[in-house]
Parts: sequence; structure tokens; C-alpha cells
Amino acid sequence: MDNQYDSILNVSGLNVQYGTFTAVKDVSFDVRKGEIFGLLGPNGAGKTSTLSAIEGLVKFQAGSVVVDGFDARQKPLYARAAMGVQLQSTSFQPELKVSEILELYAGIYGVSLSKGKLEEILKEIKLEESASKRFGQLSGGQQQRVSLVISTIHNPRLVLLDEPTTGLDPQSRRQLWERIEAIRERDHAVLLTTHSMEEAESVCDRIGIIDHGRVIVIDTPQALIEKYKNDPEVVAVSRRGRVTLEDVFIGLTGREVRA
Amino acid sequence: MTNMETIIPKISTALSALMKADFTTQWRNRRSVVLVLLVPVIILISWKGLIDKLGGPFALSNSLTYGLIAIGLMGYTNSVARDRDKGVFQRLRVAPLPTWAIMMSRLFVQLMMIILVTTAIFIVGYDYDKITLTPMGYVITYFTAIIGGAVYLSLGQMIVGLIKSPETVNSTSRLVYFLFIVIGMFGGMGLLGKQVEQLTKWSPYGTVKIIMAAGMVPGSWSMDTTYALLATIGYIIVFASIGIKKFKWDTK
Repeated sequence: MDNQYDSILNVSGLNVQYGTFTAVKDVSFDVRKGEIFGLLGPNGAGKTSTLSAIEGLVKFQAGSVVVDGFDARQKPLYARAAMGVQLQSTSFQPELKVSEILELYAGIYGVSLSKGKLEEILKEIKLEESASKRFGQLSGGQQQRVSLVISTIHNPRLVLLDEPTTGLDPQSRRQLWERIEAIRERDHAVLLTTHSMEEAESVCDRIGIIDHGRVIVIDTPQALIEKYKNDPEVVAVSRRGRVTLEDVFIGLTGREVRA
Repeated sequence: MTNMETIIPKISTALSALMKADFTTQWRNRRSVVLVLLVPVIILISWKGLIDKLGGPFALSNSLTYGLIAIGLMGYTNSVARDRDKGVFQRLRVAPLPTWAIMMSRLFVQLMMIILVTTAIFIVGYDYDKITLTPMGYVITYFTAIIGGAVYLSLGQMIVGLIKSPETVNSTSRLVYFLFIVIGMFGGMGLLGKQVEQLTKWSPYGTVKIIMAAGMVPGSWSMDTTYALLATIGYIIVFASIGIKKFKWDTK
């Protein structure tokens, strides 16, 4: 049984409904201190809805979300203060410059940001030359770096990343992985969603596969491969002579393409 | 077990950061600010010949009403629709910030715009048309301009509450703006018939114009002005209630 004192995020019996459609059904998992947890699932499986419920963007009909000990329903501002969020599409006022966006979010999170500290952050994300550029003028990789640094500007205990590497070139993706791993090294926790099995296998300590709004399985990538390597459904979709995480994922969620 | 290090930032700190960003955004959109200022100023200048006949307060209140409509319908409405579509609000909503603070900051910027437009109209009115008011007239006009501005901001809020697509919001707000200008200008003067004149008088355009004209000459405040003020407040309540109730933070 999980030690609740080690878990930074605890999701229990979560249900999210949009009208009559149930997007998330009785989802439970936890993300532990110093852990990168990946939530995988086909399109429309309920990943973003789960994340949105944790972030407080959608109301959930049943269940509980506890972030760093704060119940997201009873103490939403505390729960939000304990987490950093990178949404699927990076979204800041297009008129603002990179340095102004950083100042805005530092202010919102109550972080004092001196000129020296600002320069340090910009240097760290290799954007010191782009401080006066507007967000819309940055490349996709640069935008993701700004977005990630904002999600961690207040040094949160939990970082939520919704498909953080989508559209990035291999170099930017590797760099982002390193940044995500650095969060883990600080003993903080990361919950990310991804479609990349390579990413899940390389970065995540544990993964949860979600489909049709339900969590099918939770384990380490290696344990999942080991557990399902002889499963007929998984073996049937295997393409490389050895079972990969992608084979397990397709074996468990089916071959059909989701809208 | 909770982490005692987690702190909620002070609302004043968060609000000042938001306002700084919103003012910067407004400043970077100088062209739209200039347009908001230009339309009422041009109307005021073009009516120079009519001032002797219609009176200074009439010209000032008309011009100012057009400025207030532009602030509410062209500025506020479109910026909210665009930022909602781009997900700017969603990013702000995941921060430890009450949602009212997001809108409060934006409305404060619009309040400053109302004061700016009102001041510009006073300056142009004095400099070009030699229109002067009593000190009390100036003070009351700032208040009535804020009430009048609130009508169009709440109307704008209703438009973004009822319509999700930013393109449709844009075309709807332009259409409403155009209708207010044309019907307000010609209907208010009685050029479109008595019925339209009456309708215009008690429309959100007419009631705002009435309270502003009366505010400029406090001695002229009548029962009709009080009814216009009540109607104006009624419009604010109705538009804002619908706008807030129907408003969605994202377009999905």
C-alpha cells in the first residue's frame, strides 16, 4: 500500500462528466515524491480531463484530489499554489515580451524576481538574447522552455505537464527531458501526459495507462513490458521481435485509430 | 500531511502583476486606443457648427457616448474573446488566484480608458469648441461616464458570454457599435421618425447620453434624468448578469 506521506498527488475515485458523457470514471492513482509519473492513453481517453480536474479547470462530480496535503476542493488556492502547470497549448498574452511574462507569473505566484534573478532564469533556458522578444516570435522549442520555466517559477512540489514535447525537435525534446529530470532530483514530483512511448520509457518512473476514462494499469515501464510480454494481444501487435512499451500500450488499448 | 511551505501569494501582489501586464498589453495595442479616442474626437470636431444650436453639453455627451461604446464593444469585448480563444485565461486560472481578480484587472484598465477618453473629450471640447463646464459638472461627468462605460462593458460581457467564436464576437460587436452610432446619431435627432427617437432615447445609447448631458450641467437634472439613470443601472444589471452567468473561460 502506498505511503500517503510520500505521495505529493493523490487522486481517488475521480469522476468527470460533461453533460451526460463521462470522461473520467473512478480514476485513482498517486504521484510520489521524486517521481515522474506518465499518464498515457489514446486520443479522448481522459488524460487531459484528469489533468484539468487536478488543475481545477473542470469540476469533478465525485472523488478527491489532494495536492501536497491540500484538498483541491476545500483549499483550491493552496492546492494550485503547490503545483506548477504547463498546459497543452502554451498561451500567454501575445503582446507581452518574454521578460514581462516571467515578471507577470512571478508576481502571481508571489515570487520576488530581481533583475539579476530574471537574467539568471533567461540564461538558464538559453533565452537571454530573446528577453525582449514577444512570446509569439519564439520558436516552438523556445516557447516550451518559457512555459516550463513559468510552471516551475515558484518551485512547486508538483509539476503537471500536458504533452510537453509535442512538436519539438529531438534536441529540444532531450533538453526538456533533462529539465524534467532535474525536477525529480529536487525530490519534487512530475505528472505528465504523452503520446510518445519513447518518452514514457525514458523519463517516467511509473506510468498509468488510461482508456475510455478508466485507468487500466499502473506500473513501471519495465514491469509492464515484463508482465505483458506473453499476452497474445500484445504479442500480436509486436513489430520488432521484442515487446516494447508501445506494443503493450496498443495491446491494451486496441489498434483502432481514435478521433 | 500538508507542506507548511506552501503559501498563497498576497492578492495585492498578484493583482498588481496582472494590472501591469494588462496595462502593457493595452499600451502595445496603441492603434486601437487611438481609434477609441479618434472617433469621438472627430465627431466632436465635426459638430462645431451645431454647438450654438444644440449646446455644448449635447455635443460633449454625444461624443463621449461614442467613445464609451468603442471602449466596451471594440476594446474589452474583443480582447476577452481573443484571450479566451488563445487559452490565456486558462493559464491564469491554474495559478493560485481567484478568478474575479483576472477580470477585475481588465476592468480596471478599461476604467482608466474611460477616464482617458473623458479627459480627451473635455480638452478637445475646450480647446476647439470653447466648451466649458462648472467644476461640479466636470466631476459629475467623470462619474456618469464610468456608469455609462459600465453599460457598454456589461453589454460586451454579454456578447462574449453568449458567443464563443472570437470572429463572431468581433463581427457582432462591430455591428452593434455601428447600429449605436447610426441609430443613435440620426434616431436621437429625430431624423428617423418619432418612434425611433423615443426608442433611441430609452436605449442603452440614449439613457447614457441623457445622464451624461445632465451630469455636465447639474442644474438641469430632472425626473427624466433620474429615470434614465435607473434604466442605465437596469441595463448594467441585466447585461452583466447574463454575461457573467453565460461566460465560459474556454471555447471548447
